[in-house]
Formats: sequence, C-alpha cells, structure tokens
Amino acid sequence: MSIALRGVSKQFGEFAAVENINLDISSGALMALLGPSGCGKTTLLRIIAGLETPDSGEVLFDGQDATSWPIADRKVGFVFQSYALFRHMTVFENVAFGLKVKRRRDRPAASEIRKKVQELLALVQLEWSHDRFPAQLSGGQRQRVALARAMAVDPKVLLLDEPFGALDSQVRHELRRWLRRLHDELHFTSIIVTHDQQEAIEVADTVVVLNRGRIEQLGVPEEIYDLPTSAFVHRFLGQVNELPVKWRDGRAYLGPIDISAPDVLEPADGKQIALVRPHEIEIGPGPGWPATVVAVRVIGPIVRLDLCAEGQPIHEPLEAEISRERFEAESFAVGQKVALRFRRWQVYPAPA
Amino acid sequence: MGRFLLIASALLFLGVFLVLPLLAVFAQAFAKGFGAYAIAISEPMAWAAVKLTLLVAAIAVPLNLVFGVAAAWAIAKFDFRGKSTLITLIDLPFAVSPVIAGLIFILIFGNNGWFGGYLRAHHIRVVFAVPGIVLATIFVTFPFIARELIPIMQAQGKDAEETALSLGATGWQTFWRVTLPNIRLGLLYGVLLCNARAMGEFGAVSVVSGHIRGLTNTLPLHVEILYNEYNYTAAFAVASLLALLALLTLAGKNFLERRQPELRHAARVMRNRTQRRSR
Repeated sequence: MSIALRGVSKQFGEFAAVENINLDISSGALMALLGPSGCGKTTLLRIIAGLETPDSGEVLFDGQDATSWPIADRKVGFVFQSYALFRHMTVFENVAFGLKVKRRRDRPAASEIRKKVQELLALVQLEWSHDRFPAQLSGGQRQRVALARAMAVDPKVLLLDEPFGALDSQVRHELRRWLRRLHDELHFTSIIVTHDQQEAIEVADTVVVLNRGRIEQLGVPEEIYDLPTSAFVHRFLGQVNELPVKWRDGRAYLGPIDISAPDVLEPADGKQIALVRPHEIEIGPGPGWPATVVAVRVIGPIVRLDLCAEGQPIHEPLEAEISRERFEAESFAVGQKVALRFRRWQVYPAPA
Repeated sequence: MGRFLLIASALLFLGVFLVLPLLAVFAQAFAKGFGAYAIAISEPMAWAAVKLTLLVAAIAVPLNLVFGVAAAWAIAKFDFRGKSTLITLIDLPFAVSPVIAGLIFILIFGNNGWFGGYLRAHHIRVVFAVPGIVLATIFVTFPFIARELIPIMQAQGKDAEETALSLGATGWQTFWRVTLPNIRLGLLYGVLLCNARAMGEFGAVSVVSGHIRGLTNTLPLHVEILYNEYNYTAAFAVASLLALLALLTLAGKNFLERRQPELRHAARVMRNRTQRRSR
C-alpha cells in the first residue's frame, strides 16, 4: 500500500509538532524518519497510524483519503519502543490477540489461529516461547513477539516507533538486519522512526530527515550522507569537524589551504563554516596545514586521531579517522608534527 | 537489635490501636453471655439495620465502580480541557466534612430545599428515606476507586490500548481484555475501601437518615442509638456485626489473591509501590 501525506500539520498547544508535511511513500518501501527528539517524527508516524488526527492536511492510503479512518480500518501494524505486550497474556495469546478480537464471521477457527501463531512465532524464531509470559523474555525477544503480534492481522503497513531504542547495541544490530530481511521477504510498506542515523542508513531505502516539524532532506541513504543540503543534516548524520572559512583577496581558505571553488561565494555579511567528516581528513608528511597529534585511539579496524592544527584553539582539536593498516604503516604518535589535507568539505553559512 | 526494636514497636502499636479495640468490641458484646448477644443481634430492628446497610453498599459500590473506572480511564488515557478540574472535583468528598455532605442533600431534596416542592407533589421521599442514604453514601465514597486507579493507569500509559486498537479490537474489547486485567488489583483495593466506607459511614448518613428505626437506620446509626440508650451489650453486639462484615471483606480479598497467582504478584508490586511512596 502506498501512503501520501498532503500538507499535514499538527499543533500541541503552542508547540507545532509537524508543519505542512508533504511526503510520498511508495508501496513496498522501507522508509526511515530520522531526527532529534522533538522533531515531529513520532507525531508523523502516529498520524499515519490514526493514533493522532492532523489539524490540517490529508493522509492518503493508495490514493484514498484516509484522514478520518479509525485506526482499526487502516490495516497498520504498530510497534512501540516499549513493546507494549499484554503482560497478563502468554506469548501465544499476545500474538493471537488480533485474530481473536475479529468479529465472529471473520474470525478464523481455533485450529487455524493456532497454526498461524505458530508460523509467526517461527518467523520471529521464538517457537519455543508460546507459553511464556512477556516478563520471562529478554528485550529483544519481547520486541520480536510484538512484531509477530503486529503481523498476525496481515497489515499492509508496518509502523515502527523507535523499535530497537531500548535494546543494547549488539541486539539492535542483529534485529535491524533481521527486520530488513523480513521486509524484503514479506513486501509490506514499512516506516521506521529513529533518532539513530546509523540505524536509518543501515535499514532504510529512503531516509527523511526531520527538524522542528519540517522535512529537512529526503533521499537514499548514501545521498543523505554524502550530499547533505544543510549544515543540520550534515551534523546529524555523523561526526563532523567544524572550521571557519576565511576570505583573503577574494579567495576562501581553511587555515592555509585554499578551498576556492566556483560554487563557494564570499558572503556579503556574516560568516561561513566548512564541515569536514573525520575520514575526509588526510594526514601525511607533505604540504598542508601543519598540525600536532594530541591523542590516538585504536578502535578495532579504524584509528581516531585528535589533531591540533596551527592557529586553531588548543581545546578544540580536529578529529580524523584513518584505517588501522595505514596507522600501522605510518605509526603516528602523540606529539608528532604532521600536515593535514582535506579530501572533501562542504561550506555552509554560519548560524547567526 | 535495631530490627527487633522496630518490629516490636510496630507490633505493639498494632496491638494497642488495632487488635485491642477489636477485641474490646467482641469482649463487650459477649459480656452478658452468648444468650444476650444472640438476642441483641436477632432483634428485628438490628436485622433491618443490617439489611439496609448491605442494600446501601450494594447500590453505592457498583455505581462508584462504574464512575471510578470511567473517570480514571478518562483522566489517564485522554487529554481534554478541564482535566485538572475533574481531578480536583473527585477529591471534593475527601475535603468536605461528611456532615456538610449530608446537609447538602437536605438543602437540595429536603422539604424546604430546591426540589422539595416538586418531590412532595409527586410523593417521592428522598431525605429521611433510603434514597437519601444511598445518595449521601455515594457522595462520601466516590473518590475511593477513582483515586486508587488514576495513578496505576497513568503509570501504565496507553501503549497497550493503542496496540489493541491497531490490532482491530473495539474500544469495548480493549477495555475488557487489556485495560481491566491490568488494573484488576487496584480496582479490587478500591472496591474494598469503598465498600468498607459505604458500610461504616456515619456522619453524612446520620444527617439525611432521620433515624427511623427499622426503616432508615443503618448499622453505625443503630449502634449509636443503642449506645445512647445505655444498652451497651446490644450496642457492642451490633458493632461486632459491623466489625465482622469488615473482616469478611478482608478475607474475601485474601481469598481472591490466593486463587489468582498473578494477582498475588500484582499485590507484591503494589505493596512495594506503597512502601516506596511512604519512604
């Protein structure tokens, strides 16, 4: 099922949670709504689910106006960060819930319900758990039960509100990969809300970055990461080093490095900053911006170096990342003088 | 040693302020032998009081049950204008003296009250009759269930209900299958407290009852009348009936808890919660 939002706005008191959102989600897509807390991503998801009513605008399901449809008619599966399992029911009863509350003429026979629940529990790899109570399962297992329960009613859309937010990083990583496989096998439309850029990039086909109730940028994960259109997106999608752009005689400089380019224009007023990701900094002996290594940290396959560039404040070292192999070949050490070059950077107007 | 002192002082306190009075009631009741006790409690006026007390509780408790659940549900699961006013209003009967509560109903339904003329013309008796006693009892006991449920329901949030709705359950199914099982124990405590107060209420009921023996006398009122007539044995005998009703309620609660393990678990959680609150 395809979903479209047309000019959707929602206020909570004085606070504009989402403002004039237009968004198209094609059938079978896996879209991530990414943003810091309070950016409106959860409100947007709840509006799609029918748990909130927008103040204005329309929600279209397969082109039909679904704005006023009750949640039960929308055929959406909703998964909460808190799992929201029914504590007084066993895993089996939890998963069977959506089938058992159907009207009598639509309700499958008890044997069919049993079979379907077994299949779903097999799908989430929890066949053994059906007589357990939620309190007897781990967080990751509970969230898988919640997913099986949501899928029991054959939803056309799966809506996940920070589904892995309460889990530790190992389990989170496994569940993300598992969710992606599940999505590819079952072909429903999925929307996942997250504040974790890694999660969004890893799992989604399309990432929507939200900020203060508005869409900041929309695109495939690589595009969002490589070609951010604003400093906000650039910062939100990973570590960045922020450097002031200095203009001398009509040319732009980062330290001693000339970064002049046809699309970098001298601002009439105000300042500019350049954002550089840690892996976009090159370190070597040759020409460049003189700097001193002030810290070295080996993190598995990568090595992170803190570098104090000449003319930069000492307490704000730049962060650079190089591969373990290169680090071992060059053997940089604390106190060593090096030269920096930038492989990539992006210039934005500095915030006022 | 410290622990021993703590436990001993708790037990001593309990003994002096709870067990001793309870024993005294029964001791006084049986002071003139079992025969006198039997006569006192089998007297028709005493039985009329027992029946009236049970009738009033049987009407007031279910009504407050429905109201309490509805109010707690509305307050915990929805946001609406006037919510804080509603919470304050629920507490009103706790804040108002029961005597004033009784007088309110005299003012509204009494002979010279707002609806006095209308009621007299239609031969409906509210004050100095059973309806007045029921109304006063409902008023006085109405915060118990709602107050017990609101914090529980607020703590549980509405994720489970929203999930049930998204799975196609109707509002009614969601209430019976998801909400109610989650609040069972709090509800049980609320009902017990409400019931205990409904049976024991004196002040408000005393004002609206008119003390007509055999007709509008509840157990607490009957005890007072007997006591004022220096009929101590009978007064304590009837008081012992009231105490017995309270003990039965407690036994009933224990029985329910024992029969349902998850209730017992919930009771433990509740007890921990209360402990934490009181700390």
